[in-house]
Amino acid sequence: MCLAIPGKIIKIKNQLAEVDFQGVKKEINISIVDVKVGDYVMVHAGFAIEKMGKDNVREIETYLLSS
Amino acid sequence: MKNKIIELEMGGGGKKSEELIGNIRKILSVKGKWKNTKDDGAIYDLGRDAKFCVSTGCNKLVFTTDAFIVDPLFFSGGDIGKIAICGTLNDLSVMGAKPIGLSLSIVIEEGFLESDLEKIINSIQNVSKITGVPIVTGDTKVTEKGKIDKIEITTSGVGLASKIISNDGAKVGDDIIVSGDLGEHAVALLAKRFNYQTKIKSDCQPLLQEIQAVSKYLTSCKDPTRGGLSAVLNEMAQKSKTKFVLDEKTLPFKKETMAISELLGIDFFSFPSEGRFVATVAKKNSKKVIEILKKYNKSARIVGEVQNGKEVWLKTKIGAVKKIEVPRGKLIPRIC
Amino acid sequence: MEYKKILKNIQEKVRIINRPLRFMELCGTHSEAIAKHGIKNILPENIKLITGPGCPVCVTDQGEIDVVAGLALSGIPIACYGDATNIPGSLGSLENARQKGAQIFIVYDVAEALELSRKIPNLVFWGIGFETTTVMTAWGIQQGLTVFSSHKLFPPAMEALLENNKIRINGFINPGHVSAIIGMKAYEKFKIPQVVAGFSAEDVLLAIEMLLEQIITGEKKVENEYISLVKKTGNKKAQKIISEVFEIRNASWRGLGEIKNSGLKIRKKYQNIDAEFIHKELIAKIKKEIKPRKSACRCGEVLQGLIESKQCPLFGKVCTPDNPQGACMVSREGSCNINFRFTE
Repeated sequence: MCLAIPGKIIKIKNQLAEVDFQGVKKEINISIVDVKVGDYVMVHAGFAIEKMGKDNVREIETYLLSS
Repeated sequence: MKNKIIELEMGGGGKKSEELIGNIRKILSVKGKWKNTKDDGAIYDLGRDAKFCVSTGCNKLVFTTDAFIVDPLFFSGGDIGKIAICGTLNDLSVMGAKPIGLSLSIVIEEGFLESDLEKIINSIQNVSKITGVPIVTGDTKVTEKGKIDKIEITTSGVGLASKIISNDGAKVGDDIIVSGDLGEHAVALLAKRFNYQTKIKSDCQPLLQEIQAVSKYLTSCKDPTRGGLSAVLNEMAQKSKTKFVLDEKTLPFKKETMAISELLGIDFFSFPSEGRFVATVAKKNSKKVIEILKKYNKSARIVGEVQNGKEVWLKTKIGAVKKIEVPRGKLIPRIC
Repeated sequence: MEYKKILKNIQEKVRIINRPLRFMELCGTHSEAIAKHGIKNILPENIKLITGPGCPVCVTDQGEIDVVAGLALSGIPIACYGDATNIPGSLGSLENARQKGAQIFIVYDVAEALELSRKIPNLVFWGIGFETTTVMTAWGIQQGLTVFSSHKLFPPAMEALLENNKIRINGFINPGHVSAIIGMKAYEKFKIPQVVAGFSAEDVLLAIEMLLEQIITGEKKVENEYISLVKKTGNKKAQKIISEVFEIRNASWRGLGEIKNSGLKIRKKYQNIDAEFIHKELIAKIKKEIKPRKSACRCGEVLQGLIESKQCPLFGKVCTPDNPQGACMVSREGSCNINFRFTE
């Protein structure tokens, strides 16, 4: 019911982060997650809803192409 | 024309109209075999081309028209002017016709920036110059503020053809090919509208040369503009009374295109392109065709096969098949 | 490829169980993933996947749409997600209202609505969706955005489904992104096999395998397939924002009727930006004038997995994605819409 897609945090400015989704970048609100540059987050409607586990980074990178 | 705006009077037929049209004409300068008189239409002397027509077998006149409204007007890789001229040139090209001349009608909302109009006309001139197809006649009107949204452009075009490539000629056993990665026009527009940064530019471009290079091998051809790949393939499959089967492994979409599709919840199969074509080719010719097309665009490729049956199907990577539907309604982003 | 192995395990487990099973995917995004990957046509015949009520558009009650459309037609500018514009109410959809001159703005996120509200006076953002989407609305309210809340909570709907004896379900595939917010605890009270799942083809197949395993061992617990994202406790910060802004109330769900404690109302301290409060007289007037539209639409039963779309007399005839009669045909995640698009 809730479309969400994973992206990588590139830059952080306060509550906002620049997130890269396979070459498409957008400013995303990160106020409900604890993250640093390089982390992967799941993004729904302009918000990072949760940080993604490290073990799955490789999977995440292929997520878009496989889903 | 800097910083000035278009006034209602400029569409009134008086001196100011003349000035505006004069300025537009100054930019549009590609010469063709057309004779421009002070009358309302341009004249093409068929007699002069008679020899050419006999020698090439060009005995068909193809005529097409298209209206263009785009939001935003300017985007990465093009603007409404470029789309307006490429769209009509491509409609002629995918039918196998050689465009010989275009008309250009512009309706402008009062208050539109003259400098923006200049940019748009320059884009049209650029494509006209590259392809050698002249704008031979046109019209310009200005509406009251609020009556239309900024600017609307209509182009019509005529072309000559010896053999018409239709969109109903796909044969069972043909390969389905694309001239490059698809949907990048949509990506450029969506990125601009919803504030995404990406390197992807609109694919808007004239297809004249690449189609002419392979046209003799194509059994059917169409450009996936409105409605994207799903709309054109469904139309081609239905008119050819065949089934089109695509393979998910060779889908012609870049990762950025898929990402923006996922982000906005809009199916990339419905993403329009403005400078690509989809065609069917007899299997024995498809390698050769792709080889030629790769000179123009490295991502030209075979994406599927024409089979007995109906509709358009996708073999998914888990070995299942699913139907590719005709897109419906507006491309509205969604969150769920 | 991994999926082949999972599929083989599924086939083996189905053979051991040797009876027909019905699993319900609760989340609309799962329904769409299932359709997108063609999962139904590679599963053994004994497994039937049923689409549940997890599409916020589909479960939005006609009354709520009527109120929002009524506000829009009374001159109040409405901002909403694209999904919400086509849901039919008795006054028509928001798209119909827009055609009649109402100001309807489609936004992609709450930040956009907030920006818009600074330019357009009296703008009301219509918040729909479950816990995942509620967080963003709550954040918007904290920033001063005026909201009409149709937000709903997911677990109470699961409870309502389980209380209906007519629904024979052997297991739930629980929503992934709702669970990322609320965690796993809320599901523990339901005595039925459940797996929280991700959205790739492998994720869904693996969740089905895990459900089958529970059935073999006779367990009835909540498992997590979506470990890359979903934590047992959920996202505490998100939960905090939601409860700071919203309080629980009863809510009407299309097809399921009123479900106790399943809706979210904006707390009193934010009542100056609660559209329900600001426009209460107007809303009362709109409600009085509404004549509920009678329809042969069987959306409600479809949502509960009681009937299939094709058993509805309207399906594919008068009710199509171009002319939806019920909400299940509106959303791309709606079961009727999916069935219309993906079946031969």
